[in-house]
Amino acid sequence: MRAFEYKQAEEIREAFARHGVRYLFIGKSGAILLGFPDTTQDADIFVEKSIENGRALVDALADLGFEVSPEQAVEIERGKDFIQIKNGPFDLDLIFAPDGIERFEDAWRRRVEVEGFPVCHPDDIIASKEAAHRQKDVESLPRLRSFRDYWLSRH
Amino acid sequence: MIRSSKDQGIDTATQTAWHEEFEAAARRPLAVRMRYAFIKTYRPVLDDATYRSFDTMEDYRRWCEENLPDWLGYARV
Repeated sequence: MRAFEYKQAEEIREAFARHGVRYLFIGKSGAILLGFPDTTQDADIFVEKSIENGRALVDALADLGFEVSPEQAVEIERGKDFIQIKNGPFDLDLIFAPDGIERFEDAWRRRVEVEGFPVCHPDDIIASKEAAHRQKDVESLPRLRSFRDYWLSRH
Repeated sequence: MIRSSKDQGIDTATQTAWHEEFEAAARRPLAVRMRYAFIKTYRPVLDDATYRSFDTMEDYRRWCEENLPDWLGYARV
């Protein structure tokens, strides 16, 4: 498995737009799109939880080359809180209810567009990591908060 | 409310170094930033299945704590 690349992010953007999927990049992958210089392994996608959006997402994943079984399609349409999918051209974490963010709509209103990629606002990325409070989040938060202040000073 | 990085007790030299890294990153095109940022290394257990799903984030967090090696950093603190 190769690392996630810009070209693949473009493919997500195009396939999701074609099918009308409502989503946001979140987590460290979102922060990287905003300009945060760090490393990560996964692309984390915050997906709006609704049957229509779930169906659109299943279609978009199929377009991208993911092998989604009928059972998995049902789970995606239903919007289980967290789905990890590694049976396609790249790995994706689908998050329907991230820690620290009440509603998709709130995060959508605060989103930042980077070259057409919808990305969670740095405050939402930080809120999510603060709520998750994993060892790796605790280690990355000081620098991420510093980046947030830097980013706000320029936007 | 997200607290400012100034409240974190980070020393000035570190803040300055981070700031320089942010400035340098801002000068790079997004495609280059992504090439530097996304890496792929094998993570035991986590990378051993092609599909996993969890009804709640709490279920997922608990699964991580019960199944992943501590050094991966997925356990809550």
